[in-house]
Amino acid sequence: MEETPPAQWRMPERFTRPETATDEGGLWALMDREETRLRRSPFLIRDAALQARVHNMVCHLAGAHCPDVRVYLMRTPFFNASMAPNGMMQVWSGLMLRVDNEAQLAAVLGHEIGHYLARHSVEKLRSAKAHSSTATVMSMFGALGALGALGVAASFSGYSRDHEREADRISVTLMRDAGYDPTQASKIWENLLLETKANPNARTPNPLFGSHPAPEERMETLAKLAQAAPGGASQEAEWNDAVKPFLRDWLADEVKRGQREESLALLNRMIARAPQAAYFFARGETYRLRGAEGDFDAAVEDYLAAAAAGGEPPETHRSLGTVYRARQQAPAAKASFQRYLELAPSAPDAAMIKSYLEEIGI
Amino acid sequence: MRRLLLIMAVLELAGCAVATKIEKVDSGPQKVGERLEMTLDGAWNHFQSAQIAPARIWTMEGLPVDELRVFAGVKSGEAIDAGAPVVGGAKKIEFRAGMQPDEIVAMFEGLYTKGGSTFKLDKLEPWSFSGEKGFRFEFTFVRKVDGVVSLGVGYGTVSKGELFALLYVAPRLTFFPRNKDKVEEIARGARLKM
Repeated sequence: MEETPPAQWRMPERFTRPETATDEGGLWALMDREETRLRRSPFLIRDAALQARVHNMVCHLAGAHCPDVRVYLMRTPFFNASMAPNGMMQVWSGLMLRVDNEAQLAAVLGHEIGHYLARHSVEKLRSAKAHSSTATVMSMFGALGALGALGVAASFSGYSRDHEREADRISVTLMRDAGYDPTQASKIWENLLLETKANPNARTPNPLFGSHPAPEERMETLAKLAQAAPGGASQEAEWNDAVKPFLRDWLADEVKRGQREESLALLNRMIARAPQAAYFFARGETYRLRGAEGDFDAAVEDYLAAAAAGGEPPETHRSLGTVYRARQQAPAAKASFQRYLELAPSAPDAAMIKSYLEEIGI
Repeated sequence: MRRLLLIMAVLELAGCAVATKIEKVDSGPQKVGERLEMTLDGAWNHFQSAQIAPARIWTMEGLPVDELRVFAGVKSGEAIDAGAPVVGGAKKIEFRAGMQPDEIVAMFEGLYTKGGSTFKLDKLEPWSFSGEKGFRFEFTFVRKVDGVVSLGVGYGTVSKGELFALLYVAPRLTFFPRNKDKVEEIARGARLKM
C-alpha cells in the first residue's frame, strides 16, 4: 500500500462538545462518567512531576488541541494507552515501563491522539450500532444502557485496519512537528515483538498490538514514514530520570503478571540496554518464580549482580536467602537473611524472617 | 443485573467461574476436604464453582463484598488456580511442598493480582495453625475492576506436604472490621486430621 506522506495531513480545528441528544454526545457523556471514576481511582499515579511531563508531551503532540486533552497515568502493568472522544487519555504503567525513551512514548501517544483527531471512535460507535443486535444489547443492559454498552464496546475494542494505518501516519507527523525522532515509532513495535515471540501462546499483549494490520507490517510502514521525516530527539536520559522513582513498583507489577517468558524477554532487553540493580533483581525473581531447570542458578547470578551493582532492593537478599535455604546452604542463607533485615529492619515479614534465622541456628 | 455483572467481572479477573451456585451454610463444625475441620459461627454462604478449584469460597456479606477462601489439602505440584481458565498463556500458580511461608504468601499474591489488582503485604509472622507450625499474614488489596480498597488476613500451614490456608478479604470500611474477629476465631478453631 502506498503510504500517505505525513506532510499531507492537516490538523483539524478544535472540537466543540456535541449535543447530548446525538450519538456522539451520548458517547462523550459516557466517557465523562468514566473519567469521574478514573479521577477517584486508587490506581491513578498522582505524582505531579510525572503527570506534568507526560501532559507536556501530549501538548507538544496535540498542538491546538492541548486544552482539550486530560492525561491520566494509571498503575496497570500492561502495554497500553487510550484516548476517549471527550479528550480523556489513559497511559498505563506497563507502557511507561517498556519505552526506552520519550520519543517511543510520544509515538504511542501520537497514535492515540491520531485516533482522537480523526474521530475514529465515533465511526466505531456508528459501525457498532449498525452491526449489533439492538434487542440483544437492550436485553442485557436495558434501553438506557444500550448506548453506553455500545459506546464501551466502541471505545475499548480494536480499531479497524484503516484506522490504525491513519493513526500511525498522523503519529509520525505529530512526532516530527513536536521534535521527536520518528524512527523510534517502529522500535517500540520491534521491542514488543520480542516479548510476543517469547510467549507464542499468549493472547495479544495489548489492544494496540492486537489490532490490524500485523505488527511487522506496521513496523515496516512506520520505519518508511520516519525515513521521509528524519531528525528529532529521543530524550532517553530525561525519560529514564523521570521514571526512576517508579521503576521498582512497575517491575514488581511486571513480575506479578506471571508471564515469565515475556518478562524475561523484556528484562533481557532492559539489562542489555542499561544494566542496573532493579532490572537484575526483577529478572532474578522471574527466574526463581518460574523454577525451571537451571533457573535457581540464573536467579542467584542475577541477585548477586544486583548486589554488585549497588542500590539493590533489600528483597534481593531475602530471595538469595530463600534459594540458599532451599539448597541447604545454611551459612549463606543466614548471611542473606541477616543482610535483608539490616537493610529493611521494619519489613512486614521481618518476624517471619527472624523465625527462619532461629530455625537455621548456627 | 448490575451486581451480577460485577460479580462476574470480579470472578473473571480473579480467574474464577461465571457458572455458580450459592448455598447457606449451617453454623457449627464443617469438614472441608479430607483433613480440615472448621467451626463456623454466623450466616455464611458457600459459593460453589468448579472454576475456583481447588479453593472453596464462603461469604458472609455476599459476593463480591467479602470472601473467605479456603484451601484444604493442596498437594505439591497442584495449582492453586487449577480450575481457572488460562488467560493469555499465563502459567498456573503451583504450590510446592518445600515452599517457605513468604513464598506461599507470594503465591497467593500472584493469585490476587491477576488482571492488575494490587496486593501489599502489611504483616507476615509465625502462627500456630491447628497446632502445626504455620503463618499468619495481613494485606491490603485493591481490586482492579472497581478500585475498592480491601483488607485481608490469611492463615496457613503445610502439613504432610499439603497446603492448608484460609484467606479472608473484605472492604476496608465497615466489612473487614465487622468480620475479622469471626474469621480469626474460625482460624484458631481449625483442626487438621493427622
